[in-house]
Amino acid sequence: MSATGDGSARPGTSASPEGPGMSIHLRPARDADVPVLVPLLLRLKRLNEEFDPLLKVRDDADEQARQVLHANLADPKAIVLAAEGVGADKDRVVGFVRAVVRERPFYVPEHEGVILDIYLLPLYRRRGVGEYLLREISAALKAKGAGVVTAEFPAQNEIASRFYAKRGFRPITAIHARSL
Amino acid sequence: MTNPANVSGKVLINRSPVLDAFMAESSVAPVATGRMGRRRSRPAPGTAQKREEETDAYGRRAVELSAFYQGKIETVPKVPVRSLDDFALWYTPGVAEVSRAIHAHPDLSFSLTGRWNTVAIVTDGSRVLGLGDIGPRAALPVMEGKALLFKFLGGVDAIPIPIQVSSPDQFIATVEALAPAFGGINLEDIASPKCFGILEGLSKRLSIPVWHDDQLGTAAATVAGLLNALELTHRSVEEVRTVLLGAGAANLVTARLLLALGHDPHRLTLVDQRGVLHAERDDVDELMVRNPWKYRLALRTNGGGRSGDLAHALDGADVLLAASTPDPDTVKPAYVRSMAPDPIVFALANPVPEIWPDVARSAGAAIVATGRSDFPNQVNNSLVFPAVFRGVLDARARAIPDEVVLVAARELAAGTKRRGLTPHHLLPTMEESEVFPEVAAAVGDAAVRLGIARTKLSHEEFLDRARTLMGRSAKLVRALARARLTPPMPRVARRGGRRR
Ligand SMILES: CC(C)(COP(=O)(O)OP(=O)(O)OC[C@H]1O[C@@H](n2cnc3c(N)ncnc32)[C@H](O)[C@@H]1OP(=O)(O)O)[C@@H](O)C(=O)NCCC(=O)NCCS
Repeated sequence: MSATGDGSARPGTSASPEGPGMSIHLRPARDADVPVLVPLLLRLKRLNEEFDPLLKVRDDADEQARQVLHANLADPKAIVLAAEGVGADKDRVVGFVRAVVRERPFYVPEHEGVILDIYLLPLYRRRGVGEYLLREISAALKAKGAGVVTAEFPAQNEIASRFYAKRGFRPITAIHARSL
Repeated sequence: MTNPANVSGKVLINRSPVLDAFMAESSVAPVATGRMGRRRSRPAPGTAQKREEETDAYGRRAVELSAFYQGKIETVPKVPVRSLDDFALWYTPGVAEVSRAIHAHPDLSFSLTGRWNTVAIVTDGSRVLGLGDIGPRAALPVMEGKALLFKFLGGVDAIPIPIQVSSPDQFIATVEALAPAFGGINLEDIASPKCFGILEGLSKRLSIPVWHDDQLGTAAATVAGLLNALELTHRSVEEVRTVLLGAGAANLVTARLLLALGHDPHRLTLVDQRGVLHAERDDVDELMVRNPWKYRLALRTNGGGRSGDLAHALDGADVLLAASTPDPDTVKPAYVRSMAPDPIVFALANPVPEIWPDVARSAGAAIVATGRSDFPNQVNNSLVFPAVFRGVLDARARAIPDEVVLVAARELAAGTKRRGLTPHHLLPTMEESEVFPEVAAAVGDAAVRLGIARTKLSHEEFLDRARTLMGRSAKLVRALARARLTPPMPRVARRGGRRR
């Protein structure tokens, strides 16, 4: 499923949302982050596996994740943001968001920012951090020319549907699958 | 087939070729087992084999008796029938006026019919005793047994209703459709984690109490025992470090109740087959999807960020509450030795505890409880559900919130204390039946206090009612036996009596 929002970052973006004893620091990811991003990305893919047998994670997903992340970091059309915890988790990457800008040859707006992955460790969820990540990546995608932001996630992931729906996203295209 | 009601005392087992073949296949010969529940001497670990044989013997005898009695409960009129003319009152035309009254005031269904004292025992047969998913038909004997317990211990009319459903939503819809006939719903033998969603869903939809014994009954009995164990060892629930082994229906609710009692979430650690449950365990996202109840506890508990196995978790802990696998090697003596001074060990797996009580005590456990009646301190659902239902039914309550469950646990603990608290007497035995009406009355009071009672009785009235109704069934059973309306138990079939 992919969902869409208006791609504009809201004014007054805070640097780090405060929860009860909780805040994060968001920054662009670097090559040195890849070893800690890989397990987070794999957690997300394993979560996706829960929703559909056609999302079964490959045995070499580990190596694939490393290559994809390095490629993204070298690609001007891709954005990877790393979320660092503070306090006891200071300097520790506790979540990330990954997106690319794609061209839309037939539609306007002509460029679409696609959120491919968004993941936070469980203790950082449901405190508004996800919303902050979404706002920041949207702003970054807009800065790269995207006029619309979409998100891809398993159709059965109702938690993600709700998360995006609350932020003004609606389904625009659907991907249906069957095995061959 | 012989109707058992016409048989007086003769050994007459209703047999069929199918049943004969089934009995012949089971390996153990019939053995006289004596009275159920009699106290046996404390067995050593080596006698596990003997107890298994004994269990088999109970099983064989139960099949024979089931073939003889063909069911454990029946409906019995509760009004006089002097002549057929009386049916003009009990049935048409008189009954129409009763129906009109209820139509005008639906809550009158609680006072003009037996609804106030009738509960449905509903199961999908997805986790029956230790037998697993054996389906609704095979669950029926267990539900009948539960109905007998409900009547005998609680004075409650309980109707066994195993249902064939294919999803939790269908389960909920079915029970919701049945609810108009009942004053309460008792869910039974439903697999975890779907049992959590079913209980939550039904509690939300229905305005009668809904209970799942494997969650609430076991948890309430555990908490009651723990409160007394803490009292005996001069500790409070706010300060102890507790490890729960097993994260199924019972322990997830025990954890929830402990947190409600003020247990520090950071000093609570759950352990399952995959080790310590914590917020960054590999399967935590899977839990978010499949078992949100466990996921929430994974996020809240285990503050020290412990990971690893049971041994790690128990190091320095005050309390172990094990409700996991029936294997006496699950909790090693060394683990108990690593616990804080005067450790409390509840090994509740049935039929075999996670550590034998004498082994736990030799390893330093100050207080040990199990799920079995042949050791001291039996943590048993039957200490709780008859009294809770008596209380909520007498109050015509609309629900059973956790506050009520905790009141039952506290009163069970207090009742034991009034009768003398010792390390071997944390909880009442089933014989100390005076305690149970007191628990029922405390539950009734709580329902009134929480504003969920349709009938607001005083404490004395609740207590009176509970004593009368809970004592009545034993009299009924005796009277039926004296009148030979219940045939006496047939003698044990002899080994040679089997078809060869
Ligand atoms: C999706 C995710 C990044 C959102 O981050 P977040 O910090 O939790 O989001 P916010 O606090 O801004 O918003 C939370 C909202 O998300 C939804 N949500 C998140 N976790 C949820 C859960 N376990 N159960 C139900 N809803 C949930 C709810 O709508 C929630 O709103 P609420 O708390 O008011 O009910 C984070 O939950 C996550 O990492 N989830 C696992 C990975 C995932 O599903 N990614 C999306 C698919 S690519």
